[in-house]
Amino acid sequence: MNGSSSSSGDWHDRYYHVDQILDRPGPRTDPSFLAGDEVKDFLRNKCKILVIGAGGLGCEILANLALSGFKDIHVIDMDTIDISNLNRQFLFRQKDVGQPKAIVAAEFIMNRVPGVKVTPYYGKIQDKDDDYYLQFNLVICGLDSVEARRWINATLVNLVDPENPESLKPLIDGGTEGFKGQARVILPTVSSCYECSLDMLNKPTAFPICTIANTPRLPEHCIEWASVLEWPKVHGDKKLDTDDPEHIGWLYSMALARAKEFKIEGVTWSLTQGVVKNIIPAIASTNAIIAASCCNEAFKIATSSAAYLNNYFMLIGTDAVYSYTFEHERRAECPVCGGESLDITISKEWTVDRLIEMLVEKQDIQIKKPSLASGAKHIYFQAPPQLEEATRPNLEKKVSDLIPDGGEITVTASSLPFSLSLRINYS
Amino acid sequence: MIKIWSMKKNEDAAARRKPKTSAAQIRVQKDLTELDLPPTMKTHFPDPTDLLNFTLTITPDEGMYMGGAFVFSFAINNNYPHEPPKVKCTHTIYHPNVDLEGNVCLNILREDWKPVLNLNSVMVGLQYLFLEPNADDPLNKEAAEELRKNREQFLYNVKSAMRGGVIKGTHYDKVAVQ
Amino acid sequence: MLKTESIDIEQATTHIQAQPDNKTRRYDRQLRLWAASGQAALESARLLVISASATSTSILKNLVLPGIGHFTILDPKKVTPADAGNNFFLNGHSSIGKFRAEEAVSLLRELNDSVDGIADLRNLDDILAKEDGREWIQSFSLVIAHNLDQDILDTLSQLLWENPTSPSLIVHNGALPKTYAEKQAFKANIRNLSQKLDEENFEEAEAQAFRLWSESPVPSDISATLNLPRLDQSSSTSSTAFHALLQTLRAFINSPESSGCLPLTSTLPDMKTDTESYVKLQIMYKEQAKGDNALFKTILKKEFPDLSIDEAMVDAFVKNAHHIKVLRGRRWGTWDKDPASLGPANITEEALRTEVQSLVGQGVELPEQLDDAIGEIARAPTADLPNSAAFLGGMVAQEAIKMITKQYVPVNGYCVIDLVETWTGIVGQP
Repeated sequence: MNGSSSSSGDWHDRYYHVDQILDRPGPRTDPSFLAGDEVKDFLRNKCKILVIGAGGLGCEILANLALSGFKDIHVIDMDTIDISNLNRQFLFRQKDVGQPKAIVAAEFIMNRVPGVKVTPYYGKIQDKDDDYYLQFNLVICGLDSVEARRWINATLVNLVDPENPESLKPLIDGGTEGFKGQARVILPTVSSCYECSLDMLNKPTAFPICTIANTPRLPEHCIEWASVLEWPKVHGDKKLDTDDPEHIGWLYSMALARAKEFKIEGVTWSLTQGVVKNIIPAIASTNAIIAASCCNEAFKIATSSAAYLNNYFMLIGTDAVYSYTFEHERRAECPVCGGESLDITISKEWTVDRLIEMLVEKQDIQIKKPSLASGAKHIYFQAPPQLEEATRPNLEKKVSDLIPDGGEITVTASSLPFSLSLRINYS
Repeated sequence: MIKIWSMKKNEDAAARRKPKTSAAQIRVQKDLTELDLPPTMKTHFPDPTDLLNFTLTITPDEGMYMGGAFVFSFAINNNYPHEPPKVKCTHTIYHPNVDLEGNVCLNILREDWKPVLNLNSVMVGLQYLFLEPNADDPLNKEAAEELRKNREQFLYNVKSAMRGGVIKGTHYDKVAVQ
Repeated sequence: MLKTESIDIEQATTHIQAQPDNKTRRYDRQLRLWAASGQAALESARLLVISASATSTSILKNLVLPGIGHFTILDPKKVTPADAGNNFFLNGHSSIGKFRAEEAVSLLRELNDSVDGIADLRNLDDILAKEDGREWIQSFSLVIAHNLDQDILDTLSQLLWENPTSPSLIVHNGALPKTYAEKQAFKANIRNLSQKLDEENFEEAEAQAFRLWSESPVPSDISATLNLPRLDQSSSTSSTAFHALLQTLRAFINSPESSGCLPLTSTLPDMKTDTESYVKLQIMYKEQAKGDNALFKTILKKEFPDLSIDEAMVDAFVKNAHHIKVLRGRRWGTWDKDPASLGPANITEEALRTEVQSLVGQGVELPEQLDDAIGEIARAPTADLPNSAAFLGGMVAQEAIKMITKQYVPVNGYCVIDLVETWTGIVGQP
């Protein structure tokens, strides 16, 4: 064989397949595409990519990125491996149960795909600051939590600095449920963001509490009765740990007893666990499709080798294969990427009251009764009365005593679709 | 890398980095500072810097519960408004839609919650429970039964419970203010 | 059985409930989709995969993880440097020069101890040439082929079509339209280019995603199924049983003893009512379902006295009568017997365009979008890209699972995927 392994782990023809795409443009390729060595050098030596989540999607994403030629990959995950992960999270084995996902996944990829560096972080995405996220060219998300997705989305939108083009990090987000899934490309402040589409999400199933209390008909009603009403009644402030088999066992037997009392069939351990943990069915094949789609977009965006998804792809595999690709539109009233922003310059002597007066008078923004805060610091709230009273003394204070030069103020008012963000400069 | 920067619209050129406040935080600020409550409802913040945990006191000025002051705790998490606020009655009260643990049967707090609803809608919904207690969605079954069968007796029980009385072996908290 | 007296909560809680066994926990997230019956079907399935390409191992990964019974990879080739670069189930550089099938099998087996897998280094040509070889192929419950040459694929598909014990899934990527089906898909695609997926389709599918409560006694799609002509004589025994069940169902609906509706399923949807009435209704439902089931069996016995069908199969059929769907496959290449083929040497845009023109007919004007497609094919004629392989691996595995478990609805037609603008479409639906 002529393939000798170099220090970077590459051998002749290693990228025979990928290079067919990188060596020449296609009909839909952007003119800025630099075919050949330049794009390969960027992809393999310069590009730094962050993968959030090392679970069902994360395992697939890491493997695809490594084979595609990304060599500097970082991965964050706060979870440890559970036995129920093994039906799809293919970088983990029985012996790894209990170990941190990020670390085991990173080691596996580095062993299997030589020359690829995967840097794991076992912890929360919220542990990391702006500088950490600024080091990456791209971010791919394979998460099962709405809250974590909202956080990273808001963080990347807020990272965009008008003076620094490098601050705009494309975010590629994937999600699956059973045979269904979606992949999307978010260009923060340019295209629709995760928060813009929050109302598209299925809300978690919740049953009316009086049904649970009095007229249970389904096994789920009995389980909810056990977890929502009986657990706090019997255990007081002790928190229900849905990962503790003893807690699930307790709920199961309570739900079973109630089901028998009401002659309802179908309460099982598995259903109990499914209801209280809100378990979403997950299989390797759907994760493979969505993760491949995410990585394919990352590859195209990183290399400019082909047009990329604009901007939402959803797939339903339950009834044949149905997919829908569309452009999700930005929402003007989006609390993260929508809303107005304004640079204002005021005198250092101005009081908060004077600033509010100025905002109300300003013809182009039309604010009535604005409330002002800076991060967690409340500057002036119009309501409720207690908070109005508590913040009223600030009206007489100088803005410059509360906000540093270049500091930010979030303004909310009923006349604003969501909020206005002010950057204060002093003359 | 694709050149995304050139796709940014001109109007965005003035865009800035926004303060590090979560979407949930800003939304709660918006909801609270735009509250338009009648004199029968008052919020109280044990820690005025914490907007996510507070109480609401309802003092109905008409209906069967007139003369009482009913306190509800609100706990909002960082997934608001994807998830509704968690609301509980802090007293043991005699009401067909509130159980003895303080759980409240109000559809918009569970199955009918939507992100377009806000704290004002929840508060107005809670007050409505005191004006029109509903025997069809019972959490306190005995109270609901009484309301349906014997309105007079129910009214008597409400007044007695509000003064801290005992009804069918259950001791209720004193919530009467007048 | 359900007991009438209520159980003391104290008594119920003193019995500590143990959590499910390891196997159930391992498969928990998929059992919620296809239940124990689907899992049992997977575990008894035997899969033959022809070639250990990146796409093939991606497909297999997604079937080994959920616990398919057995797989055989048939591939005489050795690992090339290019293989080692794009296939996750090879050991990188150190696999070069070793047998592809053997390397892949050992790494795939690591994914699930309960799956049996073997590498077979024989040549498909040789196997197809012998009677015992053909029998061997037919012993599998599913055959998956990836990028086979035209003539050998023909022989294979003929064998499987005429002896329909094992369905087959045939996968092509690399974007080279060298087979009938791809040409056919191409053709249909060109005809359909004007009708791109629109909003309405989306809404329709969304609506279908929910189970609709039909008001007519027999939903129209089911009555259409009932009136389907019987398949030809070469059909297998399982097909005979199925058609007997269909005929019985027709007789059931027409029977004066039935209500003219499909047999009742025993699951009652939730409705806002009190527990007592709901449980009462549920009991009535169950009794009716039991009666319907008995009537169905009586009719079956009368109409087909000589036929013995597994009791569980009859029960499953009656229970799912509302969701019956008949999928009729077609033989590979049935639509188009065009014998011309393109060699890799002449994959130029011009050659491709000429080929397309000859397929659709000389008079037909080619749409502009065709140039985009042709351009991408000429750009990377033999590329098996890691992401495309993984995408296809997921799609094919989903289809395999649907076919093996007989749950959910497989694709009937050709699924076409564009990973530039990222969309999928189905062409050639009957």
